Amino acid sequence: MKINPPDTYWKKDVALFFGKRFALLIKMLYPMALIVPVAASDIPAQYAAAVIGIVAVMAGTFGAGESLTVDLNDGILMRVALTPLSPRRIVFEILAVNAILDFIQILPALLIVYVLNPAPLVWVLAATVAIFATLLTANCIGIFIANFTSSPADVLLYATAILAPLIYVSGFFRNQNPIGTLATLRDFVPFAYMNDSLKEVFGLSTGAVPLEMFVYPGLIAALCALGVCLTAPRLLSPRF
Amino acid sequence: MLERPAALEVQEITRLYKSSGRGVSGASFEVRPGEVFGLMGPNGSGKSTLLRVLSTAIAPQSGSFRIGGADGVREKRKARARMGLMVDRPTHYGDLSGWANAYFFARSYGVEEKKAEIVLAELFDYFGLAEYMDDKAKTYSYGMGKKLALIEAMAHAPDLLLLDEPSLGLDYTSQLAYQKKIRELATSGVAILIASNQVDEVEALCDRVAFLQKGRLAALGTPEEFVSSLEGLRRIVATLRNPVEYGALGGIAGVERVATEGRDLVVHCAERPGLVADVVAGIVGAGGDITDLAVRRPSLEDVYVKLTGEALRDED
Repeated sequence: MKINPPDTYWKKDVALFFGKRFALLIKMLYPMALIVPVAASDIPAQYAAAVIGIVAVMAGTFGAGESLTVDLNDGILMRVALTPLSPRRIVFEILAVNAILDFIQILPALLIVYVLNPAPLVWVLAATVAIFATLLTANCIGIFIANFTSSPADVLLYATAILAPLIYVSGFFRNQNPIGTLATLRDFVPFAYMNDSLKEVFGLSTGAVPLEMFVYPGLIAALCALGVCLTAPRLLSPRF
Repeated sequence: MLERPAALEVQEITRLYKSSGRGVSGASFEVRPGEVFGLMGPNGSGKSTLLRVLSTAIAPQSGSFRIGGADGVREKRKARARMGLMVDRPTHYGDLSGWANAYFFARSYGVEEKKAEIVLAELFDYFGLAEYMDDKAKTYSYGMGKKLALIEAMAHAPDLLLLDEPSLGLDYTSQLAYQKKIRELATSGVAILIASNQVDEVEALCDRVAFLQKGRLAALGTPEEFVSSLEGLRRIVATLRNPVEYGALGGIAGVERVATEGRDLVVHCAERPGLVADVVAGIVGAGGDITDLAVRRPSLEDVYVKLTGEALRDED
């Protein structure tokens, strides 16, 4: 399969991702620089899981949101939108390829975590799936934000406003043993499933069921993906 | 002989911006296959808004348009597939090569792999970009970027080309190549709409021209019709060694408008005996040192000046 020259939107993004070597090196190294020291340390499991979670959430949200707003400002995305390609397909490709590229960035660090912290295979797989679902959801948030602003700086601001409550509800740092409404809300945030499965990988029992990690975050992320794809006509319309 | 249906039919298009109230109102015209149609108008005349509507970027508030029979509002994707588009400030993926950019767009318009390679190779060669095809688009000059945008607009053999200020920024050789290509495409049946304020280009290329003023289609006709409507007008172009205060020239009977173009003083005036002598005397009297003088028949430029001048007067 030929990636460059690209014949689809996603191949274009892949070609750009691998085309800038220095940027690629930085992109691959920074998750390792943040995650590996944590994985190799004696830090309590819940905080080690939280650090990885934060890296995944931030990488996903800011990656898609910022690159989208840059392309929107530049006018190139508008030009692509005026081809016969379906706007929903364009947004789906943006979402999918960004989530996969974010996953590729984080995967080497994740593998080191699994090597340094041997865990049952089912939890390793569950954590991997939940992290991908988190990246997908985070990219959905980034794309959703790009609907309302064409400023990369605003993306940071809006993303923080959206992510802070979600991170709280997910129990990364506070709200680790939620009850009542908070417990119910937690079930609807994919970050929470990632957090639980990573805690299990780091040896902290959460009482979570592995099957839930495979089903619920994926389902929620798929619904989020469907939601942002429906915003495509607005996202790809000119901003005046 | 049956006339071929219009490649672009525009009926009563209106799109006004809430914030400024400006835009385009009630524009109707058609562009037939093989016709080169010029769209002219001063800044704020609604030209860009009309182009945004026709490119399907924004929807009209009322009216309709069809591209190759496809409804531009309800069948956007069909309409887009039949249209080649070049925006006035083309952008590209800077970290991809020029070739990769053009290939991506050609494939997005549904051109098959092999055909895309053949067509693009021809166009890169034609526009003199072949030796730069593997360079990153961000290293391209403004003119090269415009040529790349022209290639992207033409590669999928559209029924209609919508070009916004296509030749602005092109060097002279590239302008000639571009004009030759436009004529070739028109001969092969492609309908071409050129929005431009490059009067020479429009006069040289276009079969018909529409003038927009304050959002309305003020005039529509062939360049010849427009120019002949100015029978009796002349343009005196005086090249000066030094700038002069030329306000007094406006008071000479028959002088309609005076403007500077670089070192030239351009006087639009009626045809009357002795007027050239009066103008020369006026310039010399103002301290002007004339190094060259020409009296020209009207051109589309004079039509543009007349129409936009009237628009400015109406605004006053």
